[in-house]
Amino acid sequence: MRKEDTVKLISAEGFEFVVDKEAAMVSQTIHNMLTSPGSFAERQHGEVTFPEISTTILEKICQYFYWHLQFASGKETEFPIEPELTLELMMAANYLHT
Amino acid sequence: MSNQRKRNFQIEAFKHRVVIDPKYADKTWKILEHAIHEIYNHNASGLSFEELYRNAYNMVLHKFGEKLYSGLVATMTGHLKEIAKSVEAAQGGSFLEELNRKWNDHNKALQMIRDILMYMDRTYIPSTQKTPVHELGLNLWREIVIYSNQIRNRLLNTLLELVHSERTGDVIDRGIMRNITKMLVDLGPSVYVHEFELHFLHVSAEFYRVESQKFIECCDCGDYLKKAERRLNEEIDRVSHYLDPRTEKKITNVVEKEMIENHMLRLIHMENSGLVHMFSDDKYDDLGRMYNLFRRVPDGLSKIREVMTEHIKETGKQLVNDPERLKDPVEFVQRLLDEKDKYDKIINFAFNNDKSFQNALNSSFEYFINLNPRSPEFISLFVDDKLRKGLKGVSEDDVEVTLDKVMMLFRYLQEKDVFEKYYKQHLAKRLLSGKTVSDDAERSLIVKLKTECGYQFTSKLEGMFTDMKTSQDTMQGFYASHPELVDGPTLTVQVLTTGSWPTQSSVTCNLPAEMSALCEKFRSYYLGTHTGRRLSWQTNMGTADLKATFGKGQKHELNVSTYQMCVLMLFNNADRLSYKEIEQATEIPASDLKRCLQSLALVKGRNVLRKEPMSKDVGEDDAFFVNDKFSSKLYKVKIGTVVAQKESEPEKQETRQRVEEDRKPQIEAAIVRIMKSRKQLDHNNLIAEVTKQLQSRFLANPTEVKKRIESLIERDFLERDENDRKLYRYLA
Repeated sequence: MRKEDTVKLISAEGFEFVVDKEAAMVSQTIHNMLTSPGSFAERQHGEVTFPEISTTILEKICQYFYWHLQFASGKETEFPIEPELTLELMMAANYLHT
Repeated sequence: MSNQRKRNFQIEAFKHRVVIDPKYADKTWKILEHAIHEIYNHNASGLSFEELYRNAYNMVLHKFGEKLYSGLVATMTGHLKEIAKSVEAAQGGSFLEELNRKWNDHNKALQMIRDILMYMDRTYIPSTQKTPVHELGLNLWREIVIYSNQIRNRLLNTLLELVHSERTGDVIDRGIMRNITKMLVDLGPSVYVHEFELHFLHVSAEFYRVESQKFIECCDCGDYLKKAERRLNEEIDRVSHYLDPRTEKKITNVVEKEMIENHMLRLIHMENSGLVHMFSDDKYDDLGRMYNLFRRVPDGLSKIREVMTEHIKETGKQLVNDPERLKDPVEFVQRLLDEKDKYDKIINFAFNNDKSFQNALNSSFEYFINLNPRSPEFISLFVDDKLRKGLKGVSEDDVEVTLDKVMMLFRYLQEKDVFEKYYKQHLAKRLLSGKTVSDDAERSLIVKLKTECGYQFTSKLEGMFTDMKTSQDTMQGFYASHPELVDGPTLTVQVLTTGSWPTQSSVTCNLPAEMSALCEKFRSYYLGTHTGRRLSWQTNMGTADLKATFGKGQKHELNVSTYQMCVLMLFNNADRLSYKEIEQATEIPASDLKRCLQSLALVKGRNVLRKEPMSKDVGEDDAFFVNDKFSSKLYKVKIGTVVAQKESEPEKQETRQRVEEDRKPQIEAAIVRIMKSRKQLDHNNLIAEVTKQLQSRFLANPTEVKKRIESLIERDFLERDENDRKLYRYLA
């Protein structure tokens, strides 16, 4: 996997998730971050820090990104969400415009 | 959101406590404002998108959307004002470049700002019905930069100047023009229209008005059209390079109006180079150009068409009424065909095969061909000429082409029955004299006539062919039953069915004794095989081959007509004969005899007789001798009659009368047919229907139709209505 094709997502606690750009860009917010003209720091370094998203949630989100790609390409499976994560997940989703 | 719920606690934990900080909004806005400044100063690389986005997100989330929005407007306005200043300050040529650079900067910044403020764009703006960030950016640019007093007019003038200098031949930076016009379009179609297009069209109209005036004074029509075409293409090119595509229609309209529409008539009627001149000089390129340009303006083509129709009618009229042309029918028809070819070619090459032009051409030809009442005769003579000799050595395809062309002229004729009359006569002469070159061509033409006018039209013509065939068989039968005749003179008889062939005044002449004996034998043979028939001899139509020995012993075979044969045979027993003696002995009608003697005695190289006195014409007191000094390189000498190719005036009258006579029953038949199906009909409609029914054969004369109606009333086929005298009833 080449570095240019991936992006590092960092949670509030400092955990790093390296995911494909393609997957990360499922989020419209991340998409804008990485494509906006001019060069924001995130685009230069290929990493994004989310001080307001916990590791658990960010992990779930990353799973969701990949699930979404599969779903979009026609593989219809369930995406399991633990009830206790629901609310935080929804807020993060609103933030990330996913 | 009750506190009793366990989950609510976690939500609280997720929220930012900074909300409580009264300065939170101001602080956050400061960060964003700073970021916007940095973005405009090309300093964005150090900024964290996530941070900015999160701040904007939180501001909106915590109900500071209004503050964020108004802050954005204020900051952007400030920047744009600076930009406007720097653009205003740009000198001369760099003005557009500066504007363009700033526009690109602004666009980029706007995009970045929109991206970081996306959450506001998504939630706050729709709910408060404010202008979205991107649009806001464009609006502010328009209001502050473009509508700035010092930029607005300068921009317009600069653009128009550039276009003008390109029109006068300079090279300009099209790239920047494209960018600027694109900017205007991006700012909203109405901006482009009001800030540029309207003025552009106005200035262009002015420019082309002046230019076209200049051109039309000094150029001929062809050059002018070339220039107009070039200008038009230039404008289209210009639009494709740096204007909005929607402008194309408008600017071409301007050019068309100023350069073509306003000068249309002047161009068409330009002396020595106008439309008529182009027609006469076969200027396909110029004509094509004119067609393509005039097609763009209303009425353009109809103007061309009018002039073309007028011109064809005029030249056609001259052609058909030119007494010089009338002397040679073949030449006459050839000229018609050439004329038709010429215009076909023009319409094909220059006028895009336009149907309306073809129709105009057809109607013009129909108009002038029928101006000359002798056209049907001449066309038939033309065919006659072609089928006699013209088609020798020509390939079958070419024959077809020629015949097709003739058919085309035939189609224009209104009096097709007159043509039929003449064609029948000419065909008869061809068949009887064995002059026809190609049976195939003859038949092919008949087939064409048949498809054009139906079975009735050609049945008699076909009958003539059948007669020829049967006669061959009859002759074989005749000689088979009279073997003793092989040694003597041979007789070939063509038995013609009365009715199928053109009626000839059957004046018989006195045949030489040898011949009349043979004829008698044939008569008895023929009547023996076919009972109930009558044979009468048409001596005016036959030919004969004579073997003659002249003074110095040279022998020749003379190919002559029957009349000539009769005359020559007399000289077997006499050396000198006076005109009177010949007339008495042969009983050939005077006009025919004169013609026949003329061809025997007065044609150079064919003068087997000698005449005294040696005058050009044959008089009643002339005397004739065998010309002993006759000599010819050829063994076979063909002595043609001085044929009256064209009909003489009385003959013409006679044919005309016969045609009129033939029309009567046809008109009557048509009337009866129509009345039988309609039972009753008023006068005008009846005339109209009759004319329509007979159109394929001739143009019925209303007075004649009226006469026929009256005659039918007299004969109790029709009656007039008691109350309405204009109404006819059919009487079964």
